[in-house]
Amino acid sequence: MTRVVVSGLGVVSPYGVGAKTFWAGLATGECTIRPLTVIDTEGFRSRIAAEVPADVLPGIGVSSRRSRADRIALAAAREALAEADLAPRDRAEMGLFVGAVGGGMLEGEEWYCEEKSGRPSSRIRALRSILPVSHAETLAWRLRLGGPRETVVMACASGAASIALGADVIRSGATPLVLAGGVDAITHICFMGFNALKLLDPEPCRPFDRGRRGMSIGEGAAFLVLEDADHCRARGARVLGELLGAGMTTDAHHVTAPHPDGEGMIRAMVDALAASGRAPADIGYVNAHGTGTPQNDRVEALALVRVFGEGRVLVSSTKSLIGHTMAAAGSMEAAATLLSLQHGLIPPTVSLRDPDPEVPFDCVPGTARSVELGAAVSNSFGFGGQNVSLVFGR
Amino acid sequence: MSARRRVVVTGLGSVSAAGCGGSSAVAAALERSAETIAPLKAFTVPDCASRLAAEVDDEELMTLLNADTVRRLSRICRMAVAACRLAAEDAGLEGGARLGLSVGSEYGDFRSGAEFFNGFLRRGPGGLSPMIFPNTVMNSMAAVVAIATGAKAPSVTINQATVAGDLAVLRGAALIASGRADAVIAGGVDEIFLDVYRGLCALGALSPMAGGAREGCRPYSADHNGLVMGEGATFLVLEELEAARARGATIHAEMLGSAWGSIPVAPHTAPASRRDAHQTVRRALERAGVAADSLGRSYGSGNGDPALDDWELRLLEADGIRNPVSLAPLFGQHGGLGALRAAAGTLAARADGAPALVHGIARGGCRTAMVIGRAA
Repeated sequence: MTRVVVSGLGVVSPYGVGAKTFWAGLATGECTIRPLTVIDTEGFRSRIAAEVPADVLPGIGVSSRRSRADRIALAAAREALAEADLAPRDRAEMGLFVGAVGGGMLEGEEWYCEEKSGRPSSRIRALRSILPVSHAETLAWRLRLGGPRETVVMACASGAASIALGADVIRSGATPLVLAGGVDAITHICFMGFNALKLLDPEPCRPFDRGRRGMSIGEGAAFLVLEDADHCRARGARVLGELLGAGMTTDAHHVTAPHPDGEGMIRAMVDALAASGRAPADIGYVNAHGTGTPQNDRVEALALVRVFGEGRVLVSSTKSLIGHTMAAAGSMEAAATLLSLQHGLIPPTVSLRDPDPEVPFDCVPGTARSVELGAAVSNSFGFGGQNVSLVFGR
Repeated sequence: MSARRRVVVTGLGSVSAAGCGGSSAVAAALERSAETIAPLKAFTVPDCASRLAAEVDDEELMTLLNADTVRRLSRICRMAVAACRLAAEDAGLEGGARLGLSVGSEYGDFRSGAEFFNGFLRRGPGGLSPMIFPNTVMNSMAAVVAIATGAKAPSVTINQATVAGDLAVLRGAALIASGRADAVIAGGVDEIFLDVYRGLCALGALSPMAGGAREGCRPYSADHNGLVMGEGATFLVLEELEAARARGATIHAEMLGSAWGSIPVAPHTAPASRRDAHQTVRRALERAGVAADSLGRSYGSGNGDPALDDWELRLLEADGIRNPVSLAPLFGQHGGLGALRAAAGTLAARADGAPALVHGIARGGCRTAMVIGRAA
């Protein structure tokens, strides 16, 4: 079995640009969920989100003619490739798996509003980057990536799925290198949609809290350089961690609600553990999907109990710090999990004050905690009953 | 994986402008001589130079669905559910934890996105429908198909221009080869929607593009002048060979070899180059153990886009492949077209005995190749 390691990591988050900035924010427990500025929130139940700071975008090194999401994606991908220190010939073979949902919709929405107002819009070119595939096209071109390319749209599990599928391609022997991750920028349609579903908390989200009232949306991108371990060793590259296994399942139950027994979530975690060759007792930490919606957190806790046993693993939700970054969430949380393993520190569920008794786990409330970790799980679930679990090791 | 898991095709299902049905209906559609491209019926586009499309007959579609399904689902989801059910019935396949999905789409449910947004433009936050919003995420088709078919293994949605269906079939085969599923319903779906049609027209993508020549879909022709939109859903049932044999399934053909890669060119461009460093077609042929000169038919993704057609011909020529067949004149360009190419390759390999090549290339450089032959 080919072992897949991580040799590069890049993140653009509500903390700013860079994996170090990202980790510093998570470790200190700074919540980035604030009043939303990129769109008008007048009249909505929730008016907050975790945005990539406006002052970092001009210095991100990507043309402002590109969509907000493309800019974020390209900056994160460049950082990952720089850290992996790849030769041009490696890039020519490198696969690209991008988890995406919103694409360049923020700019497309401006075009659409103008069109609907009855005056011909000059923003027609925004249509070229409106679709999720826009990110992969931009990244493949700018970074000269010539291997298998896929844009994976699996709702809020997209980023994690891209990592799982990218690793599969390496294991198939098609290429020894894959750049995998996810990206999403805040859009009107996403903000309005989750508001319409009443899934957003008017206050910063409180995953696993008894009084939780929903999630907070966020934006960002994270990319991992996945590499055949032998290839990585042969070129003397630094290993940041290992993707030990991945599980992917579908509930086939409801378009927006998880299976009430967490059946698909359980299968995803069990499959991931089986693929990793690790027992539940080997896992020290679960970076939970932990959205802060009453239903998700209750069902995820149920699934965690079934897989690990009550209180048998530390659990936290980094969404309490950076919001739910949608298609990017799975890859940003994979990055957080890797960094947790590296630093022996678990980011907190920062807003957790009154733990829900239906969540029988230590969810690391308030502040980060030092723990020696050998292996950890990152969970991502999404609309459509999509479940992805990733197992990482040091 | 200690031994290579072989992937075979055991069922087909399609909803297209050329008709609806399982493998026999797909075979009949591919032989169809009557025109399917005709003036648009669903809406008028007085400000566009384009008028043509290959549209699905909604009355025929409705005969495949019950009233509850029609009421609950958007039009694109109806097409996806109908085609996937047809494919599963064709294969005699039932749902379960080892059945996966792979759905390719170029535009997803754009109609629902527009409908949702229009609610806001008309009435502000109070006009937003929580029922419509979930459809705006591109995996909504996979979500409803998973429920309809009981598919509980991975369900992957892939967004890609021109070769969405090809890529989804390749992804489906890869899910089986990697052991994530024993069977996958894989293909593509898209619908014609006013805003997308007008947008493509404004961007100069649709025939007759900027020129005043005759509108039409003429891939690889000297007078090709843009694509004609189509719509529909086409899916293949892919299965691991031993699992298919164990349940006594009819095996139409085998995915002998495949590859997909990327020619890193600027987005939306199609340069006149013969170079593919990834050697996508050669890799697929090598994996299949098939020489280019022993191929039977070759299907290409040519859709009438002049730059893209010319690029494809140059790339294929460099691989020793000539005279690819395009199915775009029969079905129009849409996310299911790549799956129709794979279905055609399946039926051709079954009929001729010689392996077929199914090739695709999109502007921006996403390239696919699969070699389909008889299962030994």
